[in-house]
Amino acid sequence: MHELQIATNIISIVEEEIRKAGKTEDIEFVYFIAGKMRAIIPESLQFSFDVMKRDKPYLEDAELKISEIPIKIRCKNCKAEHTLNEPVFRCETCSSPEIEIISGDELYIDSIEFSDT
Amino acid sequence: MKIQIVRDVLEANDQLAGDIRNIAKKEGFTLVNIMSSPGSGKTTLLERLIPALTNKEIRTAVIEGDITTTADAERIARMNIPVAQINTESFGGDCHLGAEVILPALHQFDLNNLDLIFIENVGNLVCPAEFDTGANVNIVVISTTEGEDKPLKYPLMFRVCQIAVINKIDLLPHLRFDIQILEENIRKINPMMKIVSCSAQTGEGFDQLTKLVIAKR
Repeated sequence: MHELQIATNIISIVEEEIRKAGKTEDIEFVYFIAGKMRAIIPESLQFSFDVMKRDKPYLEDAELKISEIPIKIRCKNCKAEHTLNEPVFRCETCSSPEIEIISGDELYIDSIEFSDT
Repeated sequence: MKIQIVRDVLEANDQLAGDIRNIAKKEGFTLVNIMSSPGSGKTTLLERLIPALTNKEIRTAVIEGDITTTADAERIARMNIPVAQINTESFGGDCHLGAEVILPALHQFDLNNLDLIFIENVGNLVCPAEFDTGANVNIVVISTTEGEDKPLKYPLMFRVCQIAVINKIDLLPHLRFDIQILEENIRKINPMMKIVSCSAQTGEGFDQLTKLVIAKR
């Protein structure tokens, strides 16, 4: 259900960026990055975005493109890096629990694309 | 034409959460956010924990955010401590408490005269994990009636918390529930988690929980 709040935030940030850029063209794509850690259900975010964009100037035809980023950890002990395929937050090489998450908790708008017409 | 933005969608919330932590530091209180599924026993846990803290002359208050009714707030108010009820919708309501509702709730209190402020978050293991409330300590409560695999299903929740409370251990004799498997699963997600087993009904385990909470101040 947090997807609705996230969709609302995406739209207000994009509206702000449109104003800042002084653009009057329609937005064609919004490129969104979601780390696997953030438990975003893409279909649900897509649906919320499509509901929230209605009647918004420049956004009515915008399509949300979601890229998911896998969870990667680095061991603070042996420095090995691993991509997690299952939720076990321990170094696969030396079993140390002292790990840092180096990617997978992203939740940001990467870019927006205006239609050229 | 494509323009690069690179803006975190939770930036507004995260900034407010940072403001809340600054207020906590300045006023000298610790903010503790309690999260769980619905029915894990958050309110009952507070009903046990708060008198134990009061006995040790620790001044507490509660921000009550569980949806729909003021029933929980009324239970907490009976302990004669300040309560701020966050008004959510009567039907449905929000799935989490964001920093933007915590900040005005904090301002209802005499912050100077408080040591520990608890947030009773909305019963939900997904959304509350996503939104930083500005708390200094995050606690997840999981009860023995919920199944040992919860940490694996909701990894973010178990990553953002520093303390996991396993509640309702008084029911263990009646359940096919393996507390060891639950603990192993919690450690898979968060090897550094402090785990405490207790029963908010009988009071078992509360000495340890009280100590843990005090140690986080």
